[in-house]
Amino acid sequence: MNTAAKTSRVPLSFLLPGARVNVDTLDDAIDSQQREQLIAYGLAPDRLVVVLQQRPMTIVMIDEVELALEDSVARHVWVKRK
Amino acid sequence: MTLTAIALVGNPNVGKSVLFHRLTGAYVNVSNYPGTTVEVARAPARFDAGVDLIDTPGVLTLPARSDDERATMRALLHEPLRAVIQVGDAKNLRRSLTLTALLADLGLPTVVALNMHDEAGARGMTVDASALSAALGAPVVPTVATGGEGIAQLTRHLPLARSLLPLLHYDAAAEAAITDLAARIAAVAPHPRLAARGLAILYLGQDKEVEAWLQETAGEAYAALTALREAAHAGGVTPAALAHERGEAAGTLAARVTARGAQPSPLLAHRIGQLVIHRVWAWPILLAVLFVVYEFVGVFGAGTLVGLLEENLFGKHLNPAITGFVQQYIQIGWLADLLVGQYGLWTMGMTYALALILPIVTTFFIAFGLLEDSGYFARLSVLANRLFKLIGLNGRAVLPMVLGLGCVTMATLTTRILHSPRERLITIFLMALAIPCSAQLGVVLGLLGAVSFSALLIWVAAMVAVLMLAGFLAAKLIPGRRIPLVTEMPPIRLPLAGNVAKKTVGRLKWYLVEVIPLFLLGTLIMFILDRFGALPAIISAGEPLVSGWLGLPKEASAAFVMGFLRRDFGATGLFALSSQLTPIQAVVGMVTITLFVPCIASMMVIVKEQGLKIAAAMLAFIIPFAFLVGGLLNLLLHAVWSAA
Repeated sequence: MNTAAKTSRVPLSFLLPGARVNVDTLDDAIDSQQREQLIAYGLAPDRLVVVLQQRPMTIVMIDEVELALEDSVARHVWVKRK
Repeated sequence: MTLTAIALVGNPNVGKSVLFHRLTGAYVNVSNYPGTTVEVARAPARFDAGVDLIDTPGVLTLPARSDDERATMRALLHEPLRAVIQVGDAKNLRRSLTLTALLADLGLPTVVALNMHDEAGARGMTVDASALSAALGAPVVPTVATGGEGIAQLTRHLPLARSLLPLLHYDAAAEAAITDLAARIAAVAPHPRLAARGLAILYLGQDKEVEAWLQETAGEAYAALTALREAAHAGGVTPAALAHERGEAAGTLAARVTARGAQPSPLLAHRIGQLVIHRVWAWPILLAVLFVVYEFVGVFGAGTLVGLLEENLFGKHLNPAITGFVQQYIQIGWLADLLVGQYGLWTMGMTYALALILPIVTTFFIAFGLLEDSGYFARLSVLANRLFKLIGLNGRAVLPMVLGLGCVTMATLTTRILHSPRERLITIFLMALAIPCSAQLGVVLGLLGAVSFSALLIWVAAMVAVLMLAGFLAAKLIPGRRIPLVTEMPPIRLPLAGNVAKKTVGRLKWYLVEVIPLFLLGTLIMFILDRFGALPAIISAGEPLVSGWLGLPKEASAAFVMGFLRRDFGATGLFALSSQLTPIQAVVGMVTITLFVPCIASMMVIVKEQGLKIAAAMLAFIIPFAFLVGGLLNLLLHAVWSAA
């Protein structure tokens, strides 16, 4: 609980390419069906993601899946910054 | 009931359709971007003609949410399945096993095809298939469907298909809810093949297909199932919680059976994949791709090949020989005219279909198949997203639209990959209005390419402007919310020549079967209209519009009449007039005919997808709009021309 409190959370869309971070939460601004879809792709709490690109869209690698997210979605995926 | 079917089930993009093709030898449309297989394809198995193989659409996740997932769930519920082949992706084992966890609870005999293990190897990963097989209690066969590897072994293992061992026990509250619900389902709506436990999990997960099936089967007892589900949800047993637990279990098993070697340096394919969506390099690459397609289809197909066929083979040899033969042996004037006259079935219908259109669509289908199999299309949707945002869509709509450049009829069906009815409606409307099909595109490229490159650019600019304006207005007028783009990007792959060739042949077969009768019918109608003097009447009635407003020669009216039958048929009519057209007339004519009504076949599909009322409204808008834009362009180009 204490460790979690010390970890800052930022939107996925803020990170530079090359960043390796763990997902914290997907907030409610993402529609519920799309949230389920993201979780199925592996963008789920505690999973490690690597940011590959931020333009023209946020592109992340989760395991071996490359996933492209529009900014309006990536802005609402919160990740833990170590 | 005899169980005669085997279903291929898997995530999108795992090579399911290629495997289906290997196991059946039948032609199917194979692509490596998510969502292609909208319809469920089936064919007798190569290894046993008495078994039907069913290629289900890719499922990102079950319980079913999308149309694709619902179609797969329907197949699982209603087909007489003897077994399931789960096609997994060796390099994305966690995701594959998340689906396996659900299949295990459904209890169907299963064999796992661990596909693309070559791609996993290239990433330094090895999956221990025997350890996985032991953990699942069923055969696991490594395959490389594109190379035909492991197919024989997979066929040999099919009789050994077993119900999978469970991958997880959910937490105590969830297990209690599942057990209660499964007991009730077993009592009031037992399924002949699927285990009640799996159905209970899917029902808790709000799978619409399972809901519909239970409602129908349980009848009045359904209310009790709903009550149990509501109580479970209230107690925290939610669809998301269950999905999360499945993901965790899949991750644990995937980690145990996967060995990771040294991380290899980024693969060349990966680098190319990043380059094609690079913020600078993407655009020259896109232009280069378009240029190569233009050279291959517009210059080689519509120029060289059409020249060889139309001018040499048909113009110098076939047509004179056939005309001579008919005139010698057929003494009835009108019959000879019907066959080889100005609107003759051979001299117009067959010549258009075989000498003008066939070479163009052949080259287009080859180019299209290569792009489709390369993984470029998914990246194109990322590139196009910002543009499509302006018209209330997301980049995913680029796929039907690019497919529409192949055939608007086929593409209208593929709008089902879009996630909302609103997106489908806007996309179908824009395709009907401003997306030329390959046949028409080829003719446009052929005619305007011969005029000048700037003529072609004006046509492209006019089409993009109309598309953006109409899209912008449609997005404002049609109520609903835009769905942001989230898409998986499949690896960039070198297309297999054999696969592209097979697809091209299949599409050409389909095209010829459809095109030749319609070309002949179109010619026949033109012949009748001409014979009874109606054509000159229509041409002169349309003259003020066609000659006055659009500034085209009066014979061009006939092309618009033909355009009702097929888009390319109309454009081909203008192509035939090309020697009489000035550059401005060529551009105005092609812009108007491109916007003008979609062909009969695509109209029929629009009626099927959107209903008669919407289809009629689209037509009522499109016809006057096409003439309006054509006329305005005519005025604009003349003004610019005289100013210059």
